[in-house]
Amino acid sequence: MAARSFFSQALHRPTPILEFLFPIFAVHRSRVRYASITTSSASPNTEPSPSSLDRSFSAKRRKPLSEKQRDFLDCALRVNQAGELAATLIYTHQTPPITRAHPHLRPIMHHMYSQEASHFSTFNEMLAKHRIRPTAMYPVWSAAASILGWGTGLMGREAAMACTEAVETEIGRHYNGQVRVLLGWVKEMEERGEEVGEEVRELVSTLKRIRDEELEHLDEAVGEGAREAKPYELLNRVIRSGCKGAIWISERV
Amino acid sequence: MLVTRPLHVFLRHPANLRSSLVWQCIRDYHSYEHEAPFPFAPTEDAILSAALSHVPTHGFSINALTQGARDAGYLDISTNLFPTGAFSIVRYHLVSQRLALAKHASSLQPQVDITANIATLALHRLHANKPIIHRWQEALALLSTARHLATSIRELALLSDELLFLAGSTTVTSSWYTNRAALAAVYASAELFMTQDTSKGFVETEEFLTRRLEEGEKVRGGLDMFGKWVGMQAGGLVDGLRSKGIWV
Repeated sequence: MAARSFFSQALHRPTPILEFLFPIFAVHRSRVRYASITTSSASPNTEPSPSSLDRSFSAKRRKPLSEKQRDFLDCALRVNQAGELAATLIYTHQTPPITRAHPHLRPIMHHMYSQEASHFSTFNEMLAKHRIRPTAMYPVWSAAASILGWGTGLMGREAAMACTEAVETEIGRHYNGQVRVLLGWVKEMEERGEEVGEEVRELVSTLKRIRDEELEHLDEAVGEGAREAKPYELLNRVIRSGCKGAIWISERV
Repeated sequence: MLVTRPLHVFLRHPANLRSSLVWQCIRDYHSYEHEAPFPFAPTEDAILSAALSHVPTHGFSINALTQGARDAGYLDISTNLFPTGAFSIVRYHLVSQRLALAKHASSLQPQVDITANIATLALHRLHANKPIIHRWQEALALLSTARHLATSIRELALLSDELLFLAGSTTVTSSWYTNRAALAAVYASAELFMTQDTSKGFVETEEFLTRRLEEGEKVRGGLDMFGKWVGMQAGGLVDGLRSKGIWV
């Protein structure tokens, strides 16, 4: 519960950007917000859970996914794989310096790492199964994530936790947006009296589970003192905009 | 692989839609719940498959297309359905043979030996060129013209993707790209080799293909080993520094 309330707070925090000084940034920001398919500020509490997600029909008619829907899934799953790759590498490289300085954090770090590793393999399987190409920036993201993880790990416990907090905030937002779009499709299909395919149903439940796990990490990071990191505001800003940029690029290439 | 449209089509679209145009040609999310529709309309299918049967005598030419239209019971003028003319027969052959591979792949054992699966599938695909092999150089000439180059490269990329997918490859790292590029190069050279092959049953083409695939495997294995070695050295160095008490 704490994660969720924090989550909605984080989303609505006013941004003290001096828009009158930098109108270019202001315009750009708003354009990005409307153009991106995966941003959403929906609270998980208000999320509908249509009954057709749990039931299985056989008599109703079925329609193939439209080209636009397939495009969306293509982008979304590619970004998700890239994100989980980065998360796995961040935790891998944070763990040695952090656990050496604070041995009591070993179980938490291990827990977060193993969850991320399982998400990563889930998305790897999905990509291979649905013939989606991985992002062309794969080596770049690997290097960037390793450096980010290692760097924040060296900066100490608070910085590492602030990094986790920033990353998971963006990731949670991103998954939330996807779940919302998919639930929108489910609602449309129900209204037209069509059967919701097994693939979409499974995807919604997987994404929901993964999102909840990511939000748990966010909760744990805040509990471990993410907010006490020294240049907290700066770290948070930089890492979050880095995540947004990476998501934007991975959707495209 | 990327831009399959002329520049003016690209520029006519609003700027925010252009990126989707560029990537449109790449295969997107593959659903198992619905069969993908056959990319040719029934009329096109009838005319082009009839035209293909005239290729051994008439070659990849407008003439074969006209004969095909007549055979399918259409007027000569219906060849206007195909603005790319003789190239549409080439494309039909490529696309239909690529889609036909899926049927053959069911006999394979996925995950056992991917390289062997790739070799079997690629050879099967090459043998599909047998009936028209004496005319295939005409097709290669058409495929390499500036006007059709983008379509040919895309078709080659799709074939390479299909071969790897059917062979059971599940790699989704950056080697996704290198695997496809390498296989495309090997396949294209084997296809070219086959046009010059006079051996019985194209045995030499088969040997050529196997040799190229083995070489590719060796290069990949070598690069993998090198990458592992670099990783081990770097990890060892960092661990060594840590054991000396240096804060890294």
